[in-house]
Amino acid sequence: MIWYNDLNDGIIVSSRIRLARNIDKTPFPAALNSKDKEKVSKKLRASIFESNSTLSGDFELYDLDKLSRKEKISMLEEHLISPQMVDGSGHSVLVNKNKTMSIMFMEEDHIRLQVIMGGYCLDEAFDLADKVDDVIEESLTYAFDEKFGYLTACPTNAGTGLRASVMMHLPALTMTGNISRIIQSVSGMGIAVRGLYGEGTEAEGCMYQISNQITMGLTEKEIIEKVKAVVNKLSEMESQARKSLKENHSLELEDKVYRAYGILKYARSIASAEAKSLLSDVMLGQNMGIIKCDGKMTPIELMVKTAPSVIAAGKDLDPAARDKARAELIRENI
Amino acid sequence: MDLFSELFDMFDGFDMFSSPYVQKSAQKDNKVCPVCGRSWADFNKTGKFGCGECYKTFAAGAAQVLRQVHSSAEHAGKIPSKSSAGIKVKRRLEELRRQLKEAVAKEDYETAAKLHSEIKSIEGGVSL
Repeated sequence: MIWYNDLNDGIIVSSRIRLARNIDKTPFPAALNSKDKEKVSKKLRASIFESNSTLSGDFELYDLDKLSRKEKISMLEEHLISPQMVDGSGHSVLVNKNKTMSIMFMEEDHIRLQVIMGGYCLDEAFDLADKVDDVIEESLTYAFDEKFGYLTACPTNAGTGLRASVMMHLPALTMTGNISRIIQSVSGMGIAVRGLYGEGTEAEGCMYQISNQITMGLTEKEIIEKVKAVVNKLSEMESQARKSLKENHSLELEDKVYRAYGILKYARSIASAEAKSLLSDVMLGQNMGIIKCDGKMTPIELMVKTAPSVIAAGKDLDPAARDKARAELIRENI
Repeated sequence: MDLFSELFDMFDGFDMFSSPYVQKSAQKDNKVCPVCGRSWADFNKTGKFGCGECYKTFAAGAAQVLRQVHSSAEHAGKIPSKSSAGIKVKRRLEELRRQLKEAVAKEDYETAAKLHSEIKSIEGGVSL
């Protein structure tokens, strides 16, 4: 199931595991010209997909050069490909039937294996990624060094090649102004807190991605435990902040949630940042039992589907036209 | 990653004033990687390696960078099954020796004896 359709907990949105792998004695994608890139890409796909019955049965191959921008954007919105893969050439991806797993080829590394699931399930996601990693390894030889581990284009991924991340909705900690202090304190522990789409993106809509920065010197399990410890703590703090909001500012909270819903339900033009912030308020209201939304889409799904690139989806829309299209989509579906 | 390239921008900045910090880099020579043709200067510019072989070609520099980023340059995680059983055995021995030390420190001689004989039997089985 696509991660945003599987929300049990209002605080923890999704869990993601990513393994970076490269093949032995072959330059990384950035060091290849487009002709060689195509050659390596073909070799990779052939050895993994065609010779491997376990994978070919469950996965479908997409050659991104043959897809429209709109189709690529939709894969990005589901987090099946990275933002870098929307542009550029020579990328392809294997996606499993229930869209929990994608194997990206020729991104920054030759192979980026990713498992993304709704809810809090880092261990389960890692076990799955680990198994598929073993299956892939049967058909090729990884770039691996006894001392440095799995070798990657960027040294920030070397060693385990593992990025374990959890997406969290933390509106109460954001409202009460505690979040910036928390972000500072965890960054000293080798844990990063970032926005919805990862590196360099802002935490719009109070969505935060908690992930490990350190990939070497620890085992995969130790890295995951570290991320989990921070996620558990944040989750507990968010619950407490929500409780205290309800106890001490019940009317203001209710007012905020319903005003947000009112604007979203009736606005004729809305910018991305405002939409995300209001959708976040409605999501909080829904999770705290203040408001019931029975529209066609959940607030989180609307948040994903109204991002500027997704709204434009390959069409050449100016900002005003995007804001109008965004307001329409929200009005009809909230 | 962003933080990392900033780190290198910083080094580039130092370079302009030919600061002694740059000379401190563990990687001094002008070697070129035999697989991808990139140099250490290329790495300094982009913050990215050209291929897996770069980690061997520029081993001293890579170790220094990895320690800066991860506070460690020693992989402790998964080993691909193809990369020989040798590494796994070595790791197991290290783990057993660590446990043995602990057992001795705790004066748990029964466990220590068991661990000792396990280590001996592994060492007898492979040549390391």
